[in-house]
Amino acid sequence: MVELTVAVTNKLGLHARAAAQLVRTANRFQSALRLERMDGSASADAKSILNVLMLAASGGTELRAIADGQDEQTAINAVAALFEAGFGEAKL
Amino acid sequence: MTPDPTSDSESQLSSAATERRWQGLAVSEGVVVGRVLRIHRGTKHVYPARIEVGDLDQEQARFRVAVELAKEQLLAIEARAEKVLGPEQAYIFGAHRLLLEDRKLIGEIEDEIAAEQANAEWAVKVVGDRLLARYAEIKDDYLRERGSDIEDIIHRLLEALSGERPRYRDLAADAVIVAEDLLPSAVAELDLEHARAIVTDAGGWTSHTAIIARGLGIPAIVGLGDLYPFARTGDEIIVDSYHGAVLLHPARQTIAEYRSAASQVDTQPTASPQGNDATQTIDGVNITLRANVELPAEFKGVSQYRAQGIGLYRSEFLLARPGVMLSEEKQYKAYCEVARLAGDQGAVVRLFDLGGDRSSVAGDGEGNPALGLRAIRFGLTHQSVMRIQVRAIMRAASEGRLDIVLPMVADVGDVRRAKKIIAEERKKLENEGHQPGPVRIGAMIEVPSAVTTADKIARVVDFFELGTNDLVQYVLAVDRSNDKVAEWFRSLHPAVLASISQTLEAARGAGIPTIVCGEMASTPAYAVVLLGLGAIDLSMTPAAIPRVSRVLAGVDSRDAAAIAAKCLECETADEVEELVRHQFLSLWPQLFSTESLPPQRD
Repeated sequence: MVELTVAVTNKLGLHARAAAQLVRTANRFQSALRLERMDGSASADAKSILNVLMLAASGGTELRAIADGQDEQTAINAVAALFEAGFGEAKL
Repeated sequence: MTPDPTSDSESQLSSAATERRWQGLAVSEGVVVGRVLRIHRGTKHVYPARIEVGDLDQEQARFRVAVELAKEQLLAIEARAEKVLGPEQAYIFGAHRLLLEDRKLIGEIEDEIAAEQANAEWAVKVVGDRLLARYAEIKDDYLRERGSDIEDIIHRLLEALSGERPRYRDLAADAVIVAEDLLPSAVAELDLEHARAIVTDAGGWTSHTAIIARGLGIPAIVGLGDLYPFARTGDEIIVDSYHGAVLLHPARQTIAEYRSAASQVDTQPTASPQGNDATQTIDGVNITLRANVELPAEFKGVSQYRAQGIGLYRSEFLLARPGVMLSEEKQYKAYCEVARLAGDQGAVVRLFDLGGDRSSVAGDGEGNPALGLRAIRFGLTHQSVMRIQVRAIMRAASEGRLDIVLPMVADVGDVRRAKKIIAEERKKLENEGHQPGPVRIGAMIEVPSAVTTADKIARVVDFFELGTNDLVQYVLAVDRSNDKVAEWFRSLHPAVLASISQTLEAARGAGIPTIVCGEMASTPAYAVVLLGLGAIDLSMTPAAIPRVSRVLAGVDSRDAAAIAAKCLECETADEVEELVRHQFLSLWPQLFSTESLPPQRD
């Protein structure tokens, strides 16, 4: 299992478009991928767009990404890269 | 979105109803007499039923078929939306499809069916309500509003379960769409090309409804408040966007008046058969009529209405809605397409008019965005954005005729800084082995400081472009999207006319042309006033070109000039409008009716 702190760097947060990108990426990997609020108040399966949307992560939110499985390192790197790129959207 | 199923039975009642009037914000022009097609996006009525244990498998199968059907519909919608609105609007349907593939959502519904022995409809509704309730608690406004995506999906599933194929593709020939608000999916689902007009209770100038209607060239009025609850499918309705008015259950007399007015205004054939594009006034003044375009849906209007090139290409549409910056290569392709569309007469590309209320790309949190970091100020601050855009334009200019107009310049300083950036990028392109095409650089004159120093700005640019919408807003200090001050938004205010006159004169003095774009140019009566002030190059929404052309061809520019001179002497907008009504009706009764002139105010 690997863990990483990621930040929502795009202005609009994890709305449908960004969430869709995240979910499509997460589903490319075999590992289980979770996103948690740092205070543990909410967590989401990164392979479920519904879950990710319900996380309601607005711009600036920090999240803990957790991957578990054979390809956990590549999976978490891919997800972290998306967050860093702000999902290709305008950044904060 | 579906036609209201309860409405048809009630339509007989409407014949007895009396005429009632609503006022709203006209966002796309025209007059239409038609019948209501009520579109609602509320939840369908769903009732619980207990499924016998032995039948549960069959119920689950029925649900799975509905999910597949909904997915198929979304694929089709996505393709259509991409064509009509462009890829940046279509992405949302991809996200909707992901929701339908989401085991969390689908599994929760299947569990509900199994555990409660519920019919699929009821399970969908229960799960949907539960999710929406959780969404409603989200603190972030933007994310909370995305709850409508869930609503959309739930509604689509219910519809798929009912086995109804969307019936609403075939619109009656006189359908006037009446809705609380239109979602982007309406464009994809409704055969809007057959709609005669759109009116909505909500919405503003930049709402989807407005953009869509202008793209389709049909009249639209938004912000009507509470028309929707009163309108029933089949009711007679008049949409008069010259007066921002909607009349429900119009009296016979009213319909008769409007039918004659509408036939004068609207039934002009879309193009002259002889293919002579030039418009000439009675006294032989040549008028150039160009097209304003933004959405791909509007592109076909350029040739259809025989525009003499594109006077204003609003490039902001290229930016992905939630603020994705387009690469130079993609922009280059888009500008090549615009140049090809515009043909020999060329196209004027307005640099991104970002910031203010226009885009999420700019930082928010400005107390007064209209006066904030927007348009050229945004470009000069975020130079990388501007540099990419001007590079793409200059490269495309080698494939066709393209010019650049700088939005919202305040003075010569803004122009100089922008021109320096453009020159630097030209040099870089040449060094990289590109051959940038010739590009003229113009200034949008739309703020008071630019008007007052127009003579000086005229010396450093190749042409002017008068953006009348913003000009009215800034000269009169009236926010055009704020209904509360709508009565102060007066295009024919003497101060506005004086500003236009001063700008035109400055351009003439420096020997440069001025293109007048903005809503004023697309309204025949206003176009005649503009002609009187000396404007001979107008750019407008393509669908307006035939009627503006017909009216301008029927007037003598010297008469128009005499009236305009008198308008400039008036003290108030009321006086100007009164003068215009009176003079136009007596001079050109064959061209104008009271319906096509500014309304009398109380």
